[in-house]
Amino acid sequence: AQGEGAYPLVEPENIIYGLCLQCHTECTLKIKLQDGVVSKIDGNPFSPGNMQPQLDYATSPQQAAKVDGSICPKGQAGVQTQYDPYRIRKVLKRAGPRGSGKWKAISFDQAIDEIVNGGKLFADIGDDRVYPGFKDVFKLKDARLAKEMAADVAAIRAGRMTVQEFKQKHSAHLDLLIDPDHPDLGPKNNQFVFMAGRIEHGRKEYAKRFTFGGLGSINWYAHTTICEQAHHIAYKYATAQWVEKLGKYSWKKGKDHMKPDFEGAEFVIFWGTGFAEANFGPPPMTPQVTQAATDGKLKYAVIDPRLSKSAAHGWWIPVKPGGDLALALGMIRWIIENRRYDAAFLRNANKAAANAGGEKSWSNATWLVNPETGRFIRASELGLGGEGEFVVLASGRPVAVDPYDSEQPVTGDLEVDTEVGGLPAKSAFQVLKEEVFKHDLDFYAREAGLEKKTIVDLAREFTSHGKRAAIDFYRGPIKFTYGYYAAQAIIHLNLLIGNIDHKGGLVTGGGKYNAMGGVFDLKKMHTGALTPFGVKSNREASGPYETSTLFKRDGYPAKRPWFPFTDDVYQEIIPSAASGYPYPIKILWLHKGTPVLATPAGHLQIDMLKDPDKVPLYIADDIVIGETSMYADYVFPDLTYLERWAFEGFSPAIKVKNWKLRQPAAAPVPEIVEVDGEAMPISMESMMLAIAKKLRAPGYGKDGFATSWDFNRPEDYYLKMVANVAMQDPPVPAAPDAEVELLRKARRHLPKAVFDEGKWRKAVGGGVWRQVVTVLNRGGRFEAWDKAYAPDGEFVAHTWSKLMNLYAEPIGTGVHSVTAKRLSGVPRFERMTGFDGTVIEFPSEYDLKLFTYKEIYGGQSRTSSNYAAQQAIQPENFVHISAKDAERLGLRDGDVVQVRSPDFEGTFEVAPGRSERVEGKVRVSQGIRPGSVAISWHYGHWAYGSSDVEIDGTTVAGDPTRGRGLVPNPAMAVDPYLKDVCLTDPIAGDSAYGGTYVKLVKVAGAVAEGAKQNARAAAMEEAARAVFRNS
Amino acid sequence: MANHEDRRDFLEKVASAVFAGMVLGGAKVEAQAPAGGVEPTPPPPFKISSEAQEDVLLRMQRDLQRALTKPIEERRWGMVIDTRKCVGCHACTVGCVMENKLPPGVVYRPVIDMEVGEYPNVDRKFLPRPCMQCDKPPCVPVCPVGATWKRKDGIVEIDYDACIGCRYCITACPYSARTFDFGENWTDAAAAGKDGPLALETGRIYEELPNFEYGETWERGEGIIPQSPVGNARKCTFCIHRVEKGVLPMCVTTCIGRATFFGDFNDPESLVSELIARNNAVRLKEELGTEPKVYYLV
Repeated sequence: AQGEGAYPLVEPENIIYGLCLQCHTECTLKIKLQDGVVSKIDGNPFSPGNMQPQLDYATSPQQAAKVDGSICPKGQAGVQTQYDPYRIRKVLKRAGPRGSGKWKAISFDQAIDEIVNGGKLFADIGDDRVYPGFKDVFKLKDARLAKEMAADVAAIRAGRMTVQEFKQKHSAHLDLLIDPDHPDLGPKNNQFVFMAGRIEHGRKEYAKRFTFGGLGSINWYAHTTICEQAHHIAYKYATAQWVEKLGKYSWKKGKDHMKPDFEGAEFVIFWGTGFAEANFGPPPMTPQVTQAATDGKLKYAVIDPRLSKSAAHGWWIPVKPGGDLALALGMIRWIIENRRYDAAFLRNANKAAANAGGEKSWSNATWLVNPETGRFIRASELGLGGEGEFVVLASGRPVAVDPYDSEQPVTGDLEVDTEVGGLPAKSAFQVLKEEVFKHDLDFYAREAGLEKKTIVDLAREFTSHGKRAAIDFYRGPIKFTYGYYAAQAIIHLNLLIGNIDHKGGLVTGGGKYNAMGGVFDLKKMHTGALTPFGVKSNREASGPYETSTLFKRDGYPAKRPWFPFTDDVYQEIIPSAASGYPYPIKILWLHKGTPVLATPAGHLQIDMLKDPDKVPLYIADDIVIGETSMYADYVFPDLTYLERWAFEGFSPAIKVKNWKLRQPAAAPVPEIVEVDGEAMPISMESMMLAIAKKLRAPGYGKDGFATSWDFNRPEDYYLKMVANVAMQDPPVPAAPDAEVELLRKARRHLPKAVFDEGKWRKAVGGGVWRQVVTVLNRGGRFEAWDKAYAPDGEFVAHTWSKLMNLYAEPIGTGVHSVTAKRLSGVPRFERMTGFDGTVIEFPSEYDLKLFTYKEIYGGQSRTSSNYAAQQAIQPENFVHISAKDAERLGLRDGDVVQVRSPDFEGTFEVAPGRSERVEGKVRVSQGIRPGSVAISWHYGHWAYGSSDVEIDGTTVAGDPTRGRGLVPNPAMAVDPYLKDVCLTDPIAGDSAYGGTYVKLVKVAGAVAEGAKQNARAAAMEEAARAVFRNS
Repeated sequence: MANHEDRRDFLEKVASAVFAGMVLGGAKVEAQAPAGGVEPTPPPPFKISSEAQEDVLLRMQRDLQRALTKPIEERRWGMVIDTRKCVGCHACTVGCVMENKLPPGVVYRPVIDMEVGEYPNVDRKFLPRPCMQCDKPPCVPVCPVGATWKRKDGIVEIDYDACIGCRYCITACPYSARTFDFGENWTDAAAAGKDGPLALETGRIYEELPNFEYGETWERGEGIIPQSPVGNARKCTFCIHRVEKGVLPMCVTTCIGRATFFGDFNDPESLVSELIARNNAVRLKEELGTEPKVYYLV
């Protein structure tokens, strides 16, 4: 030992503030360096995500150096993500067939040249096929023509132009289209598909700039439907606003997330989620909940088939997996029947009424719906008002409603079933009531797998705290084909007690500072930007099927479903490409994603990806070769979250305004290359710069942003976002000299290819540089914690103060593109259903209902490399079953079982002669509902450093510890209509992780573990139990 | 650092005995430390959002700063863990590993996760288990070379330079708080080699960084006994290297439930003194008479 008293980790010049990405909570970090190596990661004390309240923003970074905030175990292990022996440093090109595991390292320049120009790229391994390059999709390059064609395609979709007229008008340019007979499919540019697994703000905008305005492709995707899209979509429609643009009215989707105010609430329901695992997320949420609960102010229930860590100290409600919709509808029924709802809140039909009633937000509960069309009756139909106004019955008389009128309060009747002006009319509330009353409480209790009394107790408790109760939910209740309706029903429970914006109610959070506008209007600063147009390759967000030229050709049923209400329908991207519907693609770029591993039944995509007829050029970028990038033609190294830029805002769990900054903290592990004379590490950013420059795509290089604002380096883009946030009114203080010096010193380990002060400064201009430094030195911008509540104490400070929708008109007027049946504007009871309308049944031998969950020490697909966290705490995951089922099935703790379903026989082939088995050890527990089986995520890898690869003729051995445990996804049910993709929610496009019944087939008996170790562990546990017996 | 001097003094006294093959059973528990300890540190000028409401971490950091202004023998470091607020997340377990660069198999602060009851009346209990820093530590008298002792501030210290790796202390600890450093590394099973297309070398550089336990810089592989702290018994230090710099232990700062508290039991104004005065404070295996300085709130 040497160097007495040294502890460099508290020195401010060894600290850089950043942002985690072990999960999408993306907590703010304090990254500590030791001899230029990231050695320790803690929470950022300037941030309300890690300290509550956080340090005053005016605290100097020198003072803050000694204060650490909290961070979860995944965050703590981030050093091992950064320094992972299996990280890719150079571009890898396959040296055998796709998936062979044979690679050769090539130069970045060669790789960019090959993927841009295409050709016989694999002639050296005996493959004479001509592969397309980016030049083969970058066809429509004229910004004016693109804009004009886009407008004309919109006219075709609106019925204002015929295809024939379009073809005549654009006869000189029809070769630019995918199919001139179907111009609405868009230009050939759309045959480039960018598919992102994990991508965050900052990077999203950077990649969209490349895909949309740069390359003119409409096909930019994120992964949300394997996450929790139904939750987002239900919120977006519940908060959709009725907006006017150029005299036309339409619904503009609203916020995707709201959360209970945990600090102010008396009762919170965590529905299929929790505060201490997954969700958004443990470090911001847990201290709020544990403090309030221990103080006796907060009581909470956790609805989950498994006794989660969040449920441990709460009121556990072990619902049947997928019984959530029935439970929510049962609660709604009881609340309506017993008039436990806030009628005064619900009757407020516009802003003026809400304000007069002491509320901030209001709802459309009283607006009249025509049940035959699903459409709201417009005031204009009755001669009562304009196009943009609706109708309520006020004391029996129809009255026009302008939702945003702040002068004339309109309160409507809640229960209306009548005729107005010859039209059948029901209030939205009535429509909900009738739908929910189709089944009685016994039915709902049976479907939820709960006692009727439990539903009543829960509903009574929820409605016993005035506005100081709220429900949080995320993934658990919605990963079913009826996920959207389940999400909508849970939001409705909140609406029924009128808790929106209230202290202790459902809140929108503090929101984030705007990074896209202000000093730099980044949405517009794109010289010569192309206008992308056309139907997206998975038919999401592409308007109703019925207005497309493909509908004219095919009619119902659509060959594959359309998703007009949602986006990021991840599981459909590769199967759509493989089927060639609506059109074949040429280039797939998979960014940091692993659909084969992460998507239900994603293993079916292996054969699609291996086939160059279906996916002609396939490139990927990531930090390690994963289960899906292993089939790529080229894998590019990417930077970790500790080496690069990006930004996020907190979830609504944080009630003050904020903006979280990711910036380079670690020296880059990937190779440093030159892009057009600029040195930088290989990453998604440098790839896009290099490709765009080689193609001469608009918006890059000299004057790329605007005259004298060049786009040559990643920070040319990202630092402008920092500047926007720094200068947002009121601007942050300018950094004093000592802070500018600290910025330099703390980056002394970074190569000039990453940190070049002159270049950073130039990216924003000298005038704002010192304000930018202030934000960089604190890892973002954060409003003071005590700004959370309004001075009146009744409401939060950052309110929604807008319309909330009990009835979602766009969905209520929508039609299922395969069955041609109408959807519902209010939640309705449904069972698991395929796209053709078949209710999914399982033979009785499949008698355990499968569901998944996340451990707090595991993330999505990148935490098996966290040796000191996931691997040390739980080296493998388990097949959790109840003691009752174990006895029935004759299974013991530790027995090895194979998971099978009607669609899956327990194994699948990942490469010729190489099979993966979905097998794991049984863990018997009292803390899981009988009849169900739980398998956690984050295990069961067969790539990602867990198996051998061959690079440049040398075998690199895999680390088998990274491949332990099992991934349950292959056992998840396949859609009976499409047959190549999992069951899917037709509204939200969400993939069904839940709802599959499986059987467990024993393949080996339990192996006795070290007796001595067990004895010590048992003695310790006995002592621990004694502590609790004393309580 | 004074503590370092303690150890050197102590080691010199026992060294001849060790090399003569003698066994020093029941060695002195208190180190002979010069009074004083570290330089008094003034409380930090934290500006927080609201004086009325602050994160408990800041309150404890002020408590700690206050304690550091006293001579070392007047400090009595202790920990309180509120089991009602512990969510079993293991942030403390992993935070401790990363802070102290612990190798596989060396765990200072596991969290015991227990199921209690039968479905549907079932509960889960979590119990983090650091070193209890016992006032009467059973691990100390069994050490044949006096490589472990109780300091004046109550911390039970191990001198890796003196430890011969006999593991008597590991057996003696009734809390299983000591584990053995077998010299494993986290990336032992991963491919090794030079950096090329993959980061085989850079991918493990963090494992070679020294740690700072007891305020010293420990390069694994150095030491009087070869390879220390490899081949030594190891245990939780209450992050005394952080504490003496005015920073709370890692398990305290990273606790997302704010369930772990740290401070000076000798200071009646400290949060930990307030907490253990309550009637829901209990200790593990109280009956053994080890007098742990870790309390659990139940």
